[in-house]
Amino acid sequence: MFPFVCRGIMRAAIHTRRISRGTLPGRLLSSCDGVPAGLADADTIFALSSGHGRCGVAVVRVSGPASATALRCMAGLTRSSLPPPRKALLRCITDAKGKEVLDRGLVLWFPAPHSFTGEDSVEFHIHGGTAVITAVLQALGSVPGMRPAEAGEFTRRAFQAGKLGLTEVEGLGDLIHAETEAQRRQALRQMSGDLGRLYQNWSHKLKRCLAHVEAFIDFSEDELIEDGVLNQVDTSVCHLQAEMERHLKDERKGERLRSGVQVVIAGATNAGKSSLLNTLCQRPAAIVSPMAGTTRDIVETALDIGGFPVLLSDTAGLRDSPDVVEREGVRRARERVEQADLTLVVVDCAHLLTDAQQAVDVLQTHLMCVLSSQEQPETDRCLLVLNKSDLLPECERQKLDREMRRVSGLPPVCLISCHTNDGLQDFLTVLHSSVKTLCGDPLSGAPTLTQARHRAHLQQCVAALAQYKRHRDTDLALAAEGVRLALTSLGRITGRVAAEEILDIIFKDFCIGK
Amino acid sequence: MLTKKRPLPWSVLSLLSRRAAHLARQQYDVIVVGGGHAGTEAAAAAARVGAETLLVTQKIQTIGALSCNPSLGGVGKGQLVKEVDALDGLCGRAGDWAGIHFTILNRKKGPAVWGPRAQLDRQRYREFIQSELLSTPRLTVLEGSVEELLVTEPNPEEPGHHRVTGIRLANRSQPITASSVVLTTGTFLSGALFMGQTMSPGGRFGDAPSSAGLSHTLRERLGLRTGRLRTGTPPRIVKDSVDLCQAELHLPDTHPTPFSFLNKHTRCKPEEQLPCHLTTTTPGVERVVKESLHLNCHIQQDTKGPRYCPSIESRVLRFPGRSHQVWLEPEGLTSDLLYPQGLSMTMPPDMQLRLIREIPALRRAEIHTPGYGVQYDFVCPTQLSPALQVKNTQGLFLAGQINGTTGYEEAAAQGLWAGVNAAHWALSLPPVALSRTESYIGVLIDDLVCRGVTEPYRMFTSRAEFRTSLRPDNADLRLTLKGSEEVGCVSSLRYREAVRVRDSLQDALAALHALTLSTNKWRNKLPGLQMSENKNTLVTAGELLQYNHVSFEMLASVFPESLSPYAEFSQRLKIEAVYKPYCDMQKKEIERIQREENMSLPQDLDYFSLPVSLSQEVREILDRVRPSTLGSATRLQGITPAAVVNLLRYVHATNAGLKGRTHTNQPERKEERDEERCARNASLPQ
Repeated sequence: MFPFVCRGIMRAAIHTRRISRGTLPGRLLSSCDGVPAGLADADTIFALSSGHGRCGVAVVRVSGPASATALRCMAGLTRSSLPPPRKALLRCITDAKGKEVLDRGLVLWFPAPHSFTGEDSVEFHIHGGTAVITAVLQALGSVPGMRPAEAGEFTRRAFQAGKLGLTEVEGLGDLIHAETEAQRRQALRQMSGDLGRLYQNWSHKLKRCLAHVEAFIDFSEDELIEDGVLNQVDTSVCHLQAEMERHLKDERKGERLRSGVQVVIAGATNAGKSSLLNTLCQRPAAIVSPMAGTTRDIVETALDIGGFPVLLSDTAGLRDSPDVVEREGVRRARERVEQADLTLVVVDCAHLLTDAQQAVDVLQTHLMCVLSSQEQPETDRCLLVLNKSDLLPECERQKLDREMRRVSGLPPVCLISCHTNDGLQDFLTVLHSSVKTLCGDPLSGAPTLTQARHRAHLQQCVAALAQYKRHRDTDLALAAEGVRLALTSLGRITGRVAAEEILDIIFKDFCIGK
Repeated sequence: MLTKKRPLPWSVLSLLSRRAAHLARQQYDVIVVGGGHAGTEAAAAAARVGAETLLVTQKIQTIGALSCNPSLGGVGKGQLVKEVDALDGLCGRAGDWAGIHFTILNRKKGPAVWGPRAQLDRQRYREFIQSELLSTPRLTVLEGSVEELLVTEPNPEEPGHHRVTGIRLANRSQPITASSVVLTTGTFLSGALFMGQTMSPGGRFGDAPSSAGLSHTLRERLGLRTGRLRTGTPPRIVKDSVDLCQAELHLPDTHPTPFSFLNKHTRCKPEEQLPCHLTTTTPGVERVVKESLHLNCHIQQDTKGPRYCPSIESRVLRFPGRSHQVWLEPEGLTSDLLYPQGLSMTMPPDMQLRLIREIPALRRAEIHTPGYGVQYDFVCPTQLSPALQVKNTQGLFLAGQINGTTGYEEAAAQGLWAGVNAAHWALSLPPVALSRTESYIGVLIDDLVCRGVTEPYRMFTSRAEFRTSLRPDNADLRLTLKGSEEVGCVSSLRYREAVRVRDSLQDALAALHALTLSTNKWRNKLPGLQMSENKNTLVTAGELLQYNHVSFEMLASVFPESLSPYAEFSQRLKIEAVYKPYCDMQKKEIERIQREENMSLPQDLDYFSLPVSLSQEVREILDRVRPSTLGSATRLQGITPAAVVNLLRYVHATNAGLKGRTHTNQPERKEERDEERCARNASLPQ
């Protein structure tokens, strides 16, 4: 079986080279060039499949037809020597050109159909540091035909290959939902700044390019579409390609994005949010005062909770204020809550009535109000912290504590006092377990991974734009296909572009008859 | 294969049809209502599949009439014509018979977006369609007005689900029963004609309005949601009154390319073709539009119009200060009229005359028939299954403008597919589906039933995400074999031709890849060849064919023995060679989508009570659209990947069982059908 598979792959590899030679008259490609990344079998995927944080070994999975190519390029294997199936092999792991050694680790080769997804698969077991993981993911992204996996894609392929039973699929929807959400939050954190604007701007320009090429294809024979339209597209595509290439080469990373689970403290004014921050980081990081509205900006601090990296943010108390500065503070607070992996909703427990049912109602309303900026308020990503327990009489406190343990329909509730540190130990245990769960998800908390993903998509985008230029004068249909692929790649960062959006632009920019 | 048979003269035609009408039975497998592009294709397709079919139309004379522009095909639309032809439909061959000016649009833009197009002789087109329908076995044509659509009361076990049982005609007490009814009523559903400030009921100028009974059944009894759309047609101009010297001359291709895969040449000889002329509007046109605005009901009511510009009024109002193109197209070889494409208008006739005379070439032009607007009801197509069957009424199929589309080709494509499925339903065969990954017809139907329409839907190549693979040149390979083996709507003659073409192309490509020379030798044999590869690199003829300036003929001159047998396919081979790498890249994605389309979702799923984590929003979308497969669910806007995975639990893969049934049921019928076909073809004088 094995030699057969091997020959098959070699044939495929040679075939690919021939094709590229054929479609690129006048240019001889080196063996690693192949078909541009965005255009080859766009269907081999990779992802970090282990969690981050306190881990010694990280596992990166690859699945799809180009898996063997990736393995050979990055584990320094010659064409004929793939490792025996499903046997770990210790190799130096290099970048895709085989020049720079990134790490020393185990590689495993799972030829189809005996793999998790039923496709050819490879696993890289590497050291768990962020730098190593990022480097390996970037290297994979530069192998022709590879792209980062979308949320749940491995599992979905496994299902489609008949590798998962229906019972195993039960939890899959939730898992994919969680992954999609985590990616969305992560992207949101990065996209809210200049980078986001840059990507959006590219996407906007690319949409126009595609709309104009499509208009020229579909309508120029019957309607008045000036020839100049295509020249403008040529210029735009050139500029975009150059800009993206410059961006990919730019070594300045901008503001350092700090790793860690994003935990945000939020709640009404004077609930003791800043006190909670100070208690958690064991230093007076934020100013506290009995005056409502003391905290106006975000106060951030990096913490280690039970060995997991946490980025803790204190925010302004949520209230309507006539003060311009405070209003901005509240806006930022809401933005942070939207991007948070975990929200600590702090409530002054003196505001809770002793009647348990009423207390639950008050808390639920309050929770919805605080989380309202999230697209779908998710109570499973939040903890309720009832502060100032020291101000309650002992009997009231115990009663409240008992009631809160009984009720359902609320996120975990902790009754604490930042003043006396009463209940703090229990709270830390709950917080630790939440953070641990979040760190098990490879997608939350590591901005460098998102950067690596973006990078891979941008590389594909640039490669696809080259297809436009290559076919511009000979076959406009194939050229347009290049722009379309470029937009699809960029859309994996900025959001999918529907065919109707392109038609909207066409009908807005050109007078198209019946 | 172009049939040289003279169409029957008028009188004989109507006589034959009336006789047929007289003999009309009380019971059919399929009844098709309407004789336009959708209706004629539907009736012919149903009969080809093997159903006893009745076509009911208000006027036999107007069967196959081109109500608007005298042309067929174009960019995107041409692909539809090729596909209808590949499934043995009528419009491609009718176009070859009636065409008087053939061009391939987009000739310089790549074969995937070539747009075969022809100006037509109206009379010849009608003649062809009528004679073709009349000689189709199992098909009866009946003149009459449908008074009522007969449907059963809802099944108590499945509330809201009806079954169609037939139709009732005006002036005829006995109902005609059928298992399937295909409605192709075009713009006649509550149609209203507009010209200036006058409004009159009707769907086409000169024809009686259709009965209100049909509308009533669809809306009130079946509870179908309808919407209202508008369209229009330009005035027809007397040819002799036009100064064509003032317009730009546009000649047809010197070698007309037929639409049909069965035809080697068109009826019209190259030198007999007529030219078209191009002219442009002037500022005066804009002025007349603005001055006549208060007299223009149709435009005033244009509150939420389509995104494109259906009339000259909308053009100058939305893009003022520009000049707009007007094509002056011939209406036929002997016709003394011109069709001004781009001048659709609804102002009063005297203003229409003023407007056209603002254009230099039309300064002394006379109007033969003024332009007018039409407003009509359409049935929101999201209520249809991919077989174009109304979801809540078994056996009721809709096709054409009634589904919110515009254009002859879009109508023909739907008609064919509705006819095929109506016949399958009537004959208890499983429904058949065309995927958007394999055809423009599939794109059209998928867009309609999944997304619905807000403006008249027209085909563009940009709607087909797999455009590179869905080319006009390969429609036969994509559809004819399937049309014969799975659908049963293709004659054996066409099937055999498609198999021959497929095998020859495969052999030729194999031969090309078996011929290998070093770069150096290629350069010697083909002087002027630009290649930068090493001189000792081995290159196959197939690879060489991917180069821009290399043609199949050049290669055949080097290897005449192995390649000259395939000379007739030289263009197709060149296209195949250039596109192959890109089609291979799309294959994975196509296969993924096809896998998802083979997983069907039950139509009676109660999305609101499914015990899975789906947001309320997603549940509402799914409940509204009721996607028939996982593939179409995936493409819905607002459906998340997580939601799709949650739906996996409810899908069942039906395809394997489906194919088995199709094959076991068919052989007898098919042979019988083929024999008739052959007999018919043999009897035609060649």
